[in-house]
Amino acid sequence: MACSSVWVVIPAYNEAQILRDVLRELLNYNRSYHVVIVDDGSSDGTATVASSFPVHVLTHPVNLGQGAALATGIEYALGEKAEIIVTFDSDGQMRPQDIGTLVNEVLKGGIDVALGSRFLTSPPSGMSRMKRIALKWATLLTKLTTGLKITDTHNGMRAFKAEALRKFVITQNQMAHASEILSEIARNKLVYRELPVTIRYTQYSKAKGQSIFNSINILFELFTGGTK
Amino acid sequence: MTPIKIILIILLLIVLRAFLVQKTLILVKRVVAFLMFFFLLLLVIFPGVSTRVANVIGVGRGVDLVFYFSHLFLLLLIIALWRRSTVLVGTITKLSRAIALQNPNKPREEKDKGED
Repeated sequence: MACSSVWVVIPAYNEAQILRDVLRELLNYNRSYHVVIVDDGSSDGTATVASSFPVHVLTHPVNLGQGAALATGIEYALGEKAEIIVTFDSDGQMRPQDIGTLVNEVLKGGIDVALGSRFLTSPPSGMSRMKRIALKWATLLTKLTTGLKITDTHNGMRAFKAEALRKFVITQNQMAHASEILSEIARNKLVYRELPVTIRYTQYSKAKGQSIFNSINILFELFTGGTK
Repeated sequence: MTPIKIILIILLLIVLRAFLVQKTLILVKRVVAFLMFFFLLLLVIFPGVSTRVANVIGVGRGVDLVFYFSHLFLLLLIIALWRRSTVLVGTITKLSRAIALQNPNKPREEKDKGED
């Protein structure tokens, strides 16, 4: 399988400030990746920044949430006959090298999806204790509800075989989509493997990222069942 | 007729009018709005009725009964509005995603390929 069929889907909401660096780093790492930026109704010119790079840009007219943006990007990549689809964050926390690791694992065969994890090696530096505890609880909850033994339930870096994603239904517009993706992996009985990835907690990403209080929102979104 | 009764009747008429001017309102809802209006009018003009009903079902004062039921009604209204907003969000999601997918901005090399 050639590298040309790898599609990297990046949802972005008001990330104009950092997106240039993220895209430069990603394209320097591997120019053969097809990159899809889904501008989720940004008001800061995120789409304009993205358009200055050789990437595909989709724009939601209004802000819907990261889950919806991922769903749009994935649908687009599937329509463009992607063979492997990678989900990646736009806030500069993720390293492009890790995409290569995940993609190679999928290319080796035997699995449908490779999931990035922050907890397979030493504990990630820069992550607060509270956040670590919240994520630990999330892994327990995931094990109880889906049976998946995952060490990091809310890691946005994943590489899917495209045909596995065709069966997915993502209804959660907001952040609860991460749990929903895991439920879909369990429901479709996909073969998965976790691989260590490094997340860089910069001042920018910490300010933009999820507060641990948002875990309450995520539970509420899951409970109320997303958009139909 | 006491001034409070006049004020309440005027308010009821305003609410009824606000309801009935909606052109999309289906017949059943119009009938229900009228029935509610006449029922509330009855309570305003003859407050003794609510006290009698309250006593029958074990509530001390008629005004308390009205208070309890208005709370229940408001709660149901909130649930109905919340459900409607969920449906609306779903519709907006579908529309926004369709618009995004119909208007992709492709990289220049691919556009050139398309034009060849």
